[in-house]
Amino acid sequence: MTQLVSSSLTTRDARPREQVAVFSIAQFSFVISAASVQEIRSTDGLGGTVVDLDRPVLRKVRHIVERDARAYYVVSGCEHFHLPPSRPTTVLILRSAPVAVLVDKIEEMAEMRVLSALPQSFRGEERTWYRGLTVLDHKVLPVANPLGFLTAEELRRLEEQNPGLLQTSTGLRKERGRA
Amino acid sequence: MNAETSSLVPSFVVFQVGPRRVALPRDCVAEMIASPLLFSFPHTTPVIAGVALRRGRIVPVVDLGPGLLGTPSPTARFFLVVERRISNISERCAIPVQGECELVAGILLPAAEHDEFVTGCLDLNGEQIDVLDLEKTIAAGARIQEESMAAAEVGS
Repeated sequence: MTQLVSSSLTTRDARPREQVAVFSIAQFSFVISAASVQEIRSTDGLGGTVVDLDRPVLRKVRHIVERDARAYYVVSGCEHFHLPPSRPTTVLILRSAPVAVLVDKIEEMAEMRVLSALPQSFRGEERTWYRGLTVLDHKVLPVANPLGFLTAEELRRLEEQNPGLLQTSTGLRKERGRA
Repeated sequence: MNAETSSLVPSFVVFQVGPRRVALPRDCVAEMIASPLLFSFPHTTPVIAGVALRRGRIVPVVDLGPGLLGTPSPTARFFLVVERRISNISERCAIPVQGECELVAGILLPAAEHDEFVTGCLDLNGEQIDVLDLEKTIAAGARIQEESMAAAEVGS
Protein backbone atom coordinates (compact mmCIF):
# COMPACT_ATOMS: atom_id res chain seq x y z
CA MET A 1 0.00 0.00 0.00
CA THR A 2 1.18 3.51 -0.77
CA GLN A 3 2.73 5.28 2.22
CA LEU A 4 4.04 8.72 2.95
CA VAL A 5 7.82 8.49 3.02
CA SER A 6 10.29 11.38 3.07
CA SER A 7 11.86 12.06 -0.31
CA SER A 8 15.45 12.65 -1.22
CA LEU A 9 16.77 14.21 -4.40
CA THR A 10 20.07 12.38 -4.20
CA THR A 11 18.79 8.85 -3.76
CA ARG A 12 16.50 6.81 -5.93
CA ASP A 13 12.87 7.39 -5.08
CA ALA A 14 11.99 4.21 -3.20
CA ARG A 15 8.50 5.20 -2.16
CA PRO A 16 5.90 2.53 -2.82
CA ARG A 17 3.88 3.19 -5.94
CA GLU A 18 0.34 2.31 -6.77
CA GLN A 19 -1.27 2.27 -10.19
CA VAL A 20 -4.45 4.29 -10.14
CA ALA A 21 -7.23 5.35 -12.45
CA VAL A 22 -8.29 9.00 -12.38
CA PHE A 23 -11.99 9.39 -13.07
CA SER A 24 -14.36 12.33 -13.05
CA ILE A 25 -17.91 12.93 -11.92
CA ALA A 26 -19.44 16.36 -12.56
CA GLN A 27 -16.57 18.87 -12.19
CA PHE A 28 -14.58 16.75 -9.73
CA SER A 29 -11.74 14.29 -10.26
CA PHE A 30 -11.11 11.24 -8.09
CA VAL A 31 -8.50 8.52 -7.90
CA ILE A 32 -9.10 4.82 -7.42
CA SER A 33 -6.58 2.03 -7.12
CA ALA A 34 -6.35 0.14 -10.41
CA ALA A 35 -6.04 -3.09 -8.43
CA SER A 36 -9.53 -2.60 -7.02
CA VAL A 37 -11.10 -2.26 -10.48
CA GLN A 38 -11.87 -5.48 -12.33
CA GLU A 39 -13.17 -3.93 -15.49
CA ILE A 40 -13.82 -0.53 -17.04
CA ARG A 41 -16.63 -0.46 -19.56
CA SER A 42 -18.65 2.00 -21.53
CA THR A 43 -22.25 2.28 -20.32
CA ASP A 44 -23.32 1.60 -23.94
CA GLY A 45 -21.93 -1.91 -23.66
CA LEU A 46 -24.08 -2.89 -20.67
CA GLY A 47 -27.51 -2.80 -22.33
CA GLY A 48 -28.68 -6.41 -22.18
CA THR A 49 -27.36 -7.29 -18.73
CA VAL A 50 -28.95 -4.61 -16.54
CA VAL A 51 -31.79 -5.64 -14.20
CA ASP A 52 -33.95 -3.14 -12.29
CA LEU A 53 -34.10 -3.54 -8.52
CA ASP A 54 -37.56 -4.49 -7.23
CA ARG A 55 -37.14 -2.27 -4.21
CA PRO A 56 -34.53 0.46 -4.64
CA VAL A 57 -33.95 1.21 -0.95
CA LEU A 58 -31.02 3.48 -1.72
CA ARG A 59 -31.37 6.42 -4.05
CA LYS A 60 -27.94 5.74 -5.50
CA VAL A 61 -28.65 2.09 -6.41
CA ARG A 62 -31.49 1.31 -8.85
CA HIS A 63 -30.11 -1.58 -10.93
CA ILE A 64 -27.86 -4.58 -10.86
CA VAL A 65 -25.60 -5.54 -13.73
CA GLU A 66 -24.33 -9.01 -14.63
CA ARG A 67 -20.78 -9.60 -15.77
CA ASP A 68 -19.01 -12.95 -16.15
CA ALA A 69 -21.49 -14.88 -14.01
CA ARG A 70 -21.36 -12.30 -11.23
CA ALA A 71 -23.91 -9.63 -10.39
CA TYR A 72 -23.09 -6.14 -9.13
CA TYR A 73 -25.13 -3.31 -7.66
CA VAL A 74 -24.88 -0.27 -9.94
CA VAL A 75 -24.02 2.77 -7.82
CA SER A 76 -24.58 6.21 -9.28
CA GLY A 77 -21.35 8.12 -8.61
CA CYS A 78 -23.05 11.50 -8.55
CA GLU A 79 -25.72 10.33 -6.09
CA HIS A 80 -23.07 8.68 -3.93
CA PHE A 81 -21.02 11.89 -3.65
CA HIS A 82 -24.15 14.09 -3.43
CA LEU A 83 -23.32 15.83 -6.70
CA PRO A 84 -25.75 17.28 -9.23
CA PRO A 85 -26.84 14.88 -11.99
CA SER A 86 -24.15 14.26 -14.59
CA ARG A 87 -23.79 12.16 -17.74
CA PRO A 88 -22.13 8.88 -16.87
CA THR A 89 -20.50 7.23 -19.86
CA THR A 90 -18.32 4.74 -18.03
CA VAL A 91 -18.81 2.05 -15.42
CA LEU A 92 -16.11 0.82 -13.05
CA ILE A 93 -16.75 -2.78 -12.05
CA LEU A 94 -15.02 -3.34 -8.75
CA ARG A 95 -13.11 -6.41 -7.70
CA SER A 96 -13.50 -6.40 -3.93
CA ALA A 97 -17.24 -5.66 -3.68
CA PRO A 98 -20.37 -6.47 -5.69
CA VAL A 99 -20.39 -2.89 -6.94
CA ALA A 100 -20.29 -1.22 -10.35
CA VAL A 101 -19.84 2.57 -10.18
CA LEU A 102 -21.20 4.93 -12.81
CA VAL A 103 -18.73 7.74 -13.53
CA ASP A 104 -18.59 10.43 -16.19
CA LYS A 105 -15.29 9.34 -17.70
CA ILE A 106 -11.80 8.00 -17.09
CA GLU A 107 -9.32 10.85 -17.36
CA GLU A 108 -6.07 8.92 -17.18
CA MET A 109 -4.13 6.09 -15.62
CA ALA A 110 -1.39 7.30 -13.31
CA GLU A 111 1.05 6.29 -10.60
CA MET A 112 0.32 7.34 -7.04
CA ARG A 113 3.33 7.76 -4.76
CA VAL A 114 1.81 9.53 -1.80
CA LEU A 115 -1.31 8.70 0.14
CA SER A 116 -2.07 11.14 2.96
CA ALA A 117 -4.65 10.39 5.59
CA LEU A 118 -7.78 12.48 5.33
CA PRO A 119 -7.29 15.38 7.77
CA GLN A 120 -9.14 14.95 11.06
CA SER A 121 -11.09 18.14 10.35
CA PHE A 122 -13.14 16.11 7.88
CA ARG A 123 -15.71 14.26 9.92
CA GLY A 124 -18.60 13.43 7.55
CA GLU A 125 -19.39 10.68 5.08
CA GLU A 126 -16.11 11.42 3.31
CA ARG A 127 -14.35 9.38 5.98
CA THR A 128 -16.08 6.35 4.45
CA TRP A 129 -15.83 7.54 0.85
CA TYR A 130 -12.06 8.08 0.78
CA ARG A 131 -8.92 6.15 1.69
CA GLY A 132 -7.14 9.50 1.87
CA LEU A 133 -5.78 12.23 -0.37
CA THR A 134 -3.03 12.20 -2.93
CA VAL A 135 -1.19 14.73 -5.05
CA LEU A 136 -1.04 14.16 -8.81
CA ASP A 137 0.29 16.83 -11.18
CA HIS A 138 0.37 19.33 -8.29
CA LYS A 139 -3.33 18.80 -7.63
CA VAL A 140 -4.83 17.34 -4.47
CA LEU A 141 -7.27 14.54 -5.31
CA PRO A 142 -9.34 12.27 -3.08
CA VAL A 143 -8.57 8.55 -3.28
CA ALA A 144 -11.84 6.61 -3.41
CA ASN A 145 -12.32 3.73 -1.00
CA PRO A 146 -13.67 0.83 -3.09
CA LEU A 147 -15.48 -0.52 -0.02
CA GLY A 148 -17.04 2.88 0.63
CA PHE A 149 -19.40 2.93 -2.36
CA LEU A 150 -21.67 0.50 -0.53
CA THR A 151 -21.06 -0.04 3.15
CA ALA A 152 -21.78 -3.36 4.83
CA GLU A 153 -24.94 -1.82 6.27
CA GLU A 154 -26.10 -0.60 2.83
CA LEU A 155 -25.38 -4.01 1.30
CA ARG A 156 -27.38 -5.63 4.09
CA ARG A 157 -30.35 -3.31 3.45
CA LEU A 158 -30.25 -3.97 -0.29
CA GLU A 159 -30.11 -7.71 0.27
CA GLU A 160 -32.87 -7.51 2.88
CA GLN A 161 -35.23 -5.65 0.55
CA ASN A 162 -34.26 -7.59 -2.58
CA PRO A 163 -33.56 -11.03 -1.11
CA GLY A 164 -31.41 -13.28 -3.21
CA LEU A 165 -31.53 -10.97 -6.20
CA LEU A 166 -27.77 -10.92 -6.74
CA GLN A 167 -27.63 -14.73 -6.55
CA THR A 168 -30.85 -15.21 -8.54
CA SER A 169 -29.66 -12.93 -11.26
CA THR A 170 -26.38 -14.81 -11.55
CA GLY A 171 -28.22 -18.14 -11.37
CA LEU A 172 -30.53 -17.16 -14.20
CA ARG A 173 -27.56 -16.24 -16.31
CA LYS A 174 -25.95 -19.62 -15.61
CA GLU A 175 -29.20 -21.36 -16.55
CA ARG A 176 -29.32 -19.40 -19.78
CA GLY A 177 -25.70 -20.37 -20.44
CA ARG A 178 -26.43 -24.06 -19.96
CA ALA A 179 -29.53 -23.87 -22.17
CA MET B 1 1.74 47.73 24.62
CA ASN B 2 3.12 45.41 21.98
CA ALA B 3 4.09 41.74 22.14
CA GLU B 4 7.82 42.42 22.30
CA THR B 5 7.65 44.72 25.31
CA SER B 6 6.22 42.21 27.73
CA SER B 7 6.65 38.47 27.75
CA LEU B 8 4.47 38.22 30.86
CA VAL B 9 1.38 39.65 29.23
CA PRO B 10 -0.37 37.13 26.96
CA SER B 11 -0.25 37.88 23.26
CA PHE B 12 -2.93 37.51 20.62
CA VAL B 13 -3.22 37.63 16.86
CA VAL B 14 -5.91 40.08 15.77
CA PHE B 15 -7.43 39.43 12.36
CA GLN B 16 -10.49 40.21 10.32
CA VAL B 17 -13.22 37.88 9.03
CA GLY B 18 -15.54 39.91 6.82
CA PRO B 19 -16.27 43.10 8.72
CA ARG B 20 -15.56 41.58 12.14
CA ARG B 21 -12.21 42.01 13.93
CA VAL B 22 -11.47 39.15 16.29
CA ALA B 23 -8.44 37.58 17.96
CA LEU B 24 -6.97 34.20 18.77
CA PRO B 25 -4.35 33.42 21.41
CA ARG B 26 -0.88 33.68 19.85
CA ASP B 27 -0.03 30.06 20.59
CA CYS B 28 -2.92 28.86 18.34
CA VAL B 29 -1.43 30.60 15.31
CA ALA B 30 1.47 29.11 13.36
CA GLU B 31 1.86 31.55 10.47
CA MET B 32 0.13 33.78 7.98
CA ILE B 33 0.36 32.94 4.29
CA ALA B 34 -0.71 34.48 1.00
CA SER B 35 -3.82 32.90 -0.45
CA PRO B 36 -2.84 29.41 -1.62
CA LEU B 37 -4.43 27.44 -4.45
CA LEU B 38 -7.58 25.87 -3.04
CA PHE B 39 -8.54 22.32 -3.99
CA SER B 40 -12.07 21.15 -3.43
CA PHE B 41 -13.71 17.74 -3.60
CA PRO B 42 -17.04 16.36 -2.41
CA HIS B 43 -17.46 16.10 1.34
CA THR B 44 -20.17 16.69 3.93
CA THR B 45 -18.28 18.50 6.70
CA PRO B 46 -19.64 22.01 7.22
CA VAL B 47 -17.29 25.05 7.20
CA ILE B 48 -14.53 23.25 5.28
CA ALA B 49 -13.93 25.15 2.06
CA GLY B 50 -11.38 22.69 0.66
CA VAL B 51 -7.71 21.92 1.16
CA ALA B 52 -4.47 23.68 0.32
CA LEU B 53 -0.94 22.41 -0.21
CA ARG B 54 1.50 24.03 2.20
CA ARG B 55 5.15 22.92 2.18
CA GLY B 56 4.15 19.54 0.83
CA ARG B 57 1.44 19.05 3.44
CA ILE B 58 -2.28 18.98 2.82
CA VAL B 59 -3.98 21.55 5.02
CA PRO B 60 -7.77 21.80 5.37
CA VAL B 61 -9.21 25.28 4.88
CA VAL B 62 -11.75 26.16 7.57
CA ASP B 63 -14.06 29.14 7.12
CA LEU B 64 -14.93 31.00 10.33
CA GLY B 65 -17.47 33.12 8.41
CA PRO B 66 -20.54 30.96 9.18
CA GLY B 67 -19.82 31.07 12.92
CA LEU B 68 -18.88 34.74 13.12
CA LEU B 69 -21.03 36.29 10.41
CA GLY B 70 -23.70 33.71 9.69
CA THR B 71 -22.49 33.52 6.08
CA PRO B 72 -19.34 32.29 4.30
CA SER B 73 -16.54 34.85 4.56
CA PRO B 74 -15.63 36.90 1.48
CA THR B 75 -12.72 36.05 -0.82
CA ALA B 76 -9.46 36.17 1.10
CA ARG B 77 -5.97 37.26 0.10
CA PHE B 78 -4.39 35.83 3.22
CA PHE B 79 -4.82 32.74 5.34
CA LEU B 80 -3.90 32.22 8.97
CA VAL B 81 -2.47 28.78 9.61
CA VAL B 82 -3.71 27.67 13.02
CA GLU B 83 -3.25 24.63 15.19
CA ARG B 84 -6.36 22.63 16.04
CA ARG B 85 -6.70 19.87 18.61
CA ILE B 86 -9.10 17.22 17.35
CA SER B 87 -9.52 14.10 19.46
CA ASN B 88 -6.13 14.81 21.06
CA ILE B 89 -4.49 15.03 17.64
CA SER B 90 -2.90 18.28 16.57
CA GLU B 91 -3.75 19.41 13.06
CA ARG B 92 -2.89 22.54 11.12
CA CYS B 93 -5.72 24.31 9.31
CA ALA B 94 -5.86 27.47 7.23
CA ILE B 95 -8.40 30.20 7.97
CA PRO B 96 -9.22 32.74 5.24
CA VAL B 97 -8.87 36.28 6.64
CA GLN B 98 -9.48 39.70 5.20
CA GLY B 99 -7.31 42.73 5.81
CA GLU B 100 -4.32 42.91 8.09
CA CYS B 101 -3.30 40.71 10.99
CA GLU B 102 -1.71 42.19 14.06
CA LEU B 103 0.25 40.67 16.94
CA VAL B 104 -0.72 42.39 20.18
CA ALA B 105 -0.22 41.85 23.89
CA GLY B 106 -3.00 42.55 26.32
CA ILE B 107 -5.05 41.45 29.26
CA LEU B 108 -8.03 39.27 28.52
CA LEU B 109 -11.11 40.99 29.89
CA PRO B 110 -14.53 39.42 30.45
CA ALA B 111 -16.51 39.29 27.23
CA ALA B 112 -19.23 41.85 26.66
CA GLU B 113 -20.81 39.65 23.95
CA HIS B 114 -22.74 36.54 24.78
CA ASP B 115 -21.57 34.40 21.84
CA GLU B 116 -20.63 31.03 23.31
CA PHE B 117 -17.38 30.98 21.33
CA VAL B 118 -16.06 34.28 22.74
CA THR B 119 -13.77 33.65 25.71
CA GLY B 120 -13.08 37.28 26.52
CA CYS B 121 -12.15 40.57 24.94
CA LEU B 122 -9.18 42.84 24.44
CA ASP B 123 -9.20 46.58 24.73
CA LEU B 124 -7.19 47.84 21.76
CA ASN B 125 -7.03 51.63 22.01
CA GLY B 126 -10.69 51.73 22.93
CA GLU B 127 -11.73 49.12 20.38
CA GLN B 128 -13.17 45.95 21.93
CA ILE B 129 -11.84 42.85 20.16
CA ASP B 130 -13.47 39.49 20.86
CA VAL B 131 -11.05 36.66 21.62
CA LEU B 132 -12.28 33.37 20.16
CA ASP B 133 -12.26 29.79 21.28
CA LEU B 134 -11.30 28.30 17.91
CA GLU B 135 -13.05 24.94 18.33
CA LYS B 136 -16.26 26.53 19.61
CA THR B 137 -16.26 29.03 16.73
CA ILE B 138 -15.88 26.20 14.21
CA ALA B 139 -18.62 24.21 15.97
CA ALA B 140 -20.97 27.22 15.93
CA GLY B 141 -20.36 27.70 12.19
CA ALA B 142 -20.96 24.00 11.54
CA ARG B 143 -24.24 24.17 13.43
CA ILE B 144 -25.40 27.23 11.47
CA GLN B 145 -24.48 25.63 8.13
CA GLU B 146 -26.18 22.37 9.05
CA GLU B 147 -29.33 24.25 10.06
CA SER B 148 -29.42 26.25 6.82
CA MET B 149 -28.82 23.08 4.77
CA ALA B 150 -31.64 21.30 6.61
CA ALA B 151 -33.92 24.29 6.02
CA ALA B 152 -33.02 24.30 2.31
CA GLU B 153 -33.85 20.59 2.07
CA VAL B 154 -37.22 21.13 3.74
CA GLY B 155 -37.87 24.05 1.37
CA SER B 156 -37.10 21.98 -1.70
